Amino acid sequence: MIFADRSTGVLVAGATGNQGAFHIPLMNTYAREVGGKGVVAGVTPGKGGQSIHGVPVYNSIREALREHDARASVVFVPAGAAMDSVMEAAYAGLELIVAITEQIPVHDTMKAIEYARLQGATVIGPNCPGLISPGECKLGIIPSHLATRGNVGVVSRSGTLTYEVIHELTRAGIGQSTVVGIGGDPVIGQTFSDVLERFGEDRETKAVVLIGEVGGSLEEEGAASTDLSLVAYIAGVTAPPEKRMGHAGAIIEGGEGDARSKIRRLEGLGITVADRPGEIPDLIRGFL
Amino acid sequence: MRLSEHEAKEIFRAYGIPVPMGVAFRSPGELEPHLGTFGDHLVLKAQVAVGGRGKAGGIVVTETARAIEQAGILFAKEIRGVPVREILAEECLDIEKEFFLSIAVDRSSRMPLLLFAESGGVEIEAVAREHPEAVRRMTVSPLLTDIPPFALRDLLGGMVKDFAPVVNKLYRVFREKDAVLAEINPLVTTKKGIFAADAKIIVDDSALTRQGMRRGRAQTEREQEAETHGFSYVDLDGEIGVIGNGAGLTMATIDLIALYGGRAANFLDVGGGADRERVKHAVKLVASVPSVQVILVNLLGGITRCDEVARGILEADVRQKVMVRLAGTNEEEGRRFLASRSYTMFETMDEAVKAAVEAIR
Repeated sequence: MIFADRSTGVLVAGATGNQGAFHIPLMNTYAREVGGKGVVAGVTPGKGGQSIHGVPVYNSIREALREHDARASVVFVPAGAAMDSVMEAAYAGLELIVAITEQIPVHDTMKAIEYARLQGATVIGPNCPGLISPGECKLGIIPSHLATRGNVGVVSRSGTLTYEVIHELTRAGIGQSTVVGIGGDPVIGQTFSDVLERFGEDRETKAVVLIGEVGGSLEEEGAASTDLSLVAYIAGVTAPPEKRMGHAGAIIEGGEGDARSKIRRLEGLGITVADRPGEIPDLIRGFL
Repeated sequence: MRLSEHEAKEIFRAYGIPVPMGVAFRSPGELEPHLGTFGDHLVLKAQVAVGGRGKAGGIVVTETARAIEQAGILFAKEIRGVPVREILAEECLDIEKEFFLSIAVDRSSRMPLLLFAESGGVEIEAVAREHPEAVRRMTVSPLLTDIPPFALRDLLGGMVKDFAPVVNKLYRVFREKDAVLAEINPLVTTKKGIFAADAKIIVDDSALTRQGMRRGRAQTEREQEAETHGFSYVDLDGEIGVIGNGAGLTMATIDLIALYGGRAANFLDVGGGADRERVKHAVKLVASVPSVQVILVNLLGGITRCDEVARGILEADVRQKVMVRLAGTNEEEGRRFLASRSYTMFETMDEAVKAAVEAIR
């Protein structure tokens, strides 16, 4: 497992909003099931003193850290202030920041990610479902009932497509070490390369499923950077050029990043590329 | 959102980047009163947001005396399938040399990336392919408000004195307008000084609100309607209507249709928390596409309530066959509900897509 485990205390930023208040109990139900620490406190400026499903809310991260032991933050703060929350967490010394929020202006993201990097913090996202290590911890919104513990790492730019793949893996009896959604935005804190490096150091992970999509070249860069056994799937083979396919990052710019050439480059690196998500379990089984 | 050349040049002008004298117009008659401000010749540029505009006949150099007639011909054209609704008339520049200058959000470094080449215009792509070293690259820390002088020297080499002010101004445009791309190609030198002969700005879609801009660039009526419901929607050209939740899953569904030999009519991502009303609107919207013969609903999620989704599908009450793949909370109830009304339910994405493709044949 990578990034976090059952001993990781978690803060939720944007705890009193719809998303935060909805997901705190889901994360904590899972933490209870697996005997983990889970969400120890929430943070919403101006709402200190409230409590959400038994989790105390503070006005700032530093205030929360005076009372609780936490090393990660999950950010549900609305787009306009989400990156401020990322910088607040990095400044306060949190090691891991998972930004779920979508539609954040990319200039804000670039600044906050660079600031967090200089503070020594790791940012996952934004516009991501977070991560789950089955049997250990869940930081974010990945539906825990779809996942089971095992030896396959999953790293993906997508949300629901990730759920599809872990659903198929679990149905096929193949468990996961950690599932990481790195986010659908053009600029994200952890790229495929970063996550694959972690999987490379993880003894539990025997092979990795890489789920990419049209836009950019992070998939190829990641695949080229690792010795791990990989099965890749790339969504958007039929995506028309210069149309945004839902994700801000999923746009083919000037002939760069279209799915077919991405697949060709991955195959050129010797990577197995699945034609359809349903094929992934059989392909990954070959590496276990 | 990509701005038109004319809009981008207005921004350049406001930031002190020299642009050619010009006027934008939507009918030949609007150009007439301005003809006196041009010399013997002028250039007419179709304001269409497509690459390769010049090669496709979208740029015409004409005698000023014949400009009205030529504009009429250009308005009647389609440039790479896009109708010409606006033309920019500009003075002809006496170009000495063309350069390339671009600032983009770079996914790999997660920083603004500056590109500069001592050749520009339509040749830049060939130059970039054959002599990648001829395109100089510099990243700039997003925490800095200005480009440090050393970076300008490295980027511009011997041209630093001539071009540093333009690069600094373009960087201000890039930052202050929330651009994901701000590009001048070609940047030209003339006896009268340097000019941005062309201008390209793409504004971050996630920053349109704070830029006071409206998306408003939806190309079809359906794309516009989808926007009002908050769906991500793209028209495609097949027969199978597609509704999914999440961009990746929806894209994968469309790819799978193609893999099994079918064609999707659209991309529709209902987004998170697909409830009864949203699903109903989505199904109705897709059903309104004339070419749609079958509708495929592929929804998967932990928090999606399948019974609610099922009700939304029923309430939409459309003429086409609806194939449904649902997984999530209250899955069984949703399935039972739809099965009782003769909807076809599937457990996996593969099965649902295969059935939709079969149904067309």
